Amino acid sequence: MSLDEILRWLIRWLTSTPINTVVMGYRWVWPISEILHFCGLAVMVGTVGAFDLRLLGLAKGVAPATLHRSLRYGVAAFVLSALTGSLFIFGQPDQYFYNAAFKLKVIALLLLGLNVLLFYTLEARHVLALGPSDDAPLRAKIIAAASLTLLVSIMLFGRMLTFFRP
Amino acid sequence: MLTGVLVWLEETPASVWVREYPSILGFPFILFLHTLGLAMLAGVSIAIDIWLLRAVTFARTVRMTGLNRVMWLGFGINTASGLALLLAYPAKALTNPVFYAKMALVAVGLYAVSRINRETFPRGEAAAGTVISALTKRWAVVSLLVWAGTTATGRLLAYTHHVLFATQLP
Repeated sequence: MSLDEILRWLIRWLTSTPINTVVMGYRWVWPISEILHFCGLAVMVGTVGAFDLRLLGLAKGVAPATLHRSLRYGVAAFVLSALTGSLFIFGQPDQYFYNAAFKLKVIALLLLGLNVLLFYTLEARHVLALGPSDDAPLRAKIIAAASLTLLVSIMLFGRMLTFFRP
Repeated sequence: MLTGVLVWLEETPASVWVREYPSILGFPFILFLHTLGLAMLAGVSIAIDIWLLRAVTFARTVRMTGLNRVMWLGFGINTASGLALLLAYPAKALTNPVFYAKMALVAVGLYAVSRINRETFPRGEAAAGTVISALTKRWAVVSLLVWAGTTATGRLLAYTHHVLFATQLP
């Protein structure tokens, strides 16, 4: 079975589900999902971005551990965005699976996940012990810069979805 | 009178450029900048609101100048990109009540940010031991609700407009 055949099967299956009927059958499901998707994005980028900026030294004066405590809300917001994002895929799978911007967005999301894993494996212990004026280690700064770049990329590719429709 | 102004605006070279520039560096990129500005202003403001709502007091001196700079840069990006988007489709926005609701919410959001700064971080910082007042927490709740409202009305603009161009006005 080729990749194209798998995608076509997946599209057929997704469009035959009751979720597809709800997303496409009710006029306000898509706009409300978009609102929740963007609210989730704002909370996720805000909480994670503020933490990254602190590690990069742009928001010195606040202990990293203080901003780190808000990250759980960023994770909850990510889950909200992922759930609402899934609704869009259930609604119009062909608009996403054959869309270059969507593929790049998924790659950026996976890399962001990998970056989070790297942070908690290598740097979290040192960073969370820092005081308000302490400088983060270079490795933590590189991870924070990668995180910010990936967050901006996710927003960029997300906005470009409309303009790369198949 | 208003229709005439809108038609004139739509025909300016800047409006035509934003609307019709045949590259993702035109309208799509301006839309992206608007989202980036939202994330910088509302996103960072939300992160601070959550922090203030959860905390009781500051264990150590806190300086907010860095995060404030990020928020104001986001506001600058949002204003510039928002004006460009408005210039591209002035009739679409200016004939939609949701647009005015969004502008009002942005104004309240900015006011909430400045109130929080004034109450809790005078001269950009809060000394160790500063207690986060109930008033600050109330403004943090207002700020959270207002940024959610701004995001909601911003998205609804795409679904609630009656016309795209001034020539479609009755």
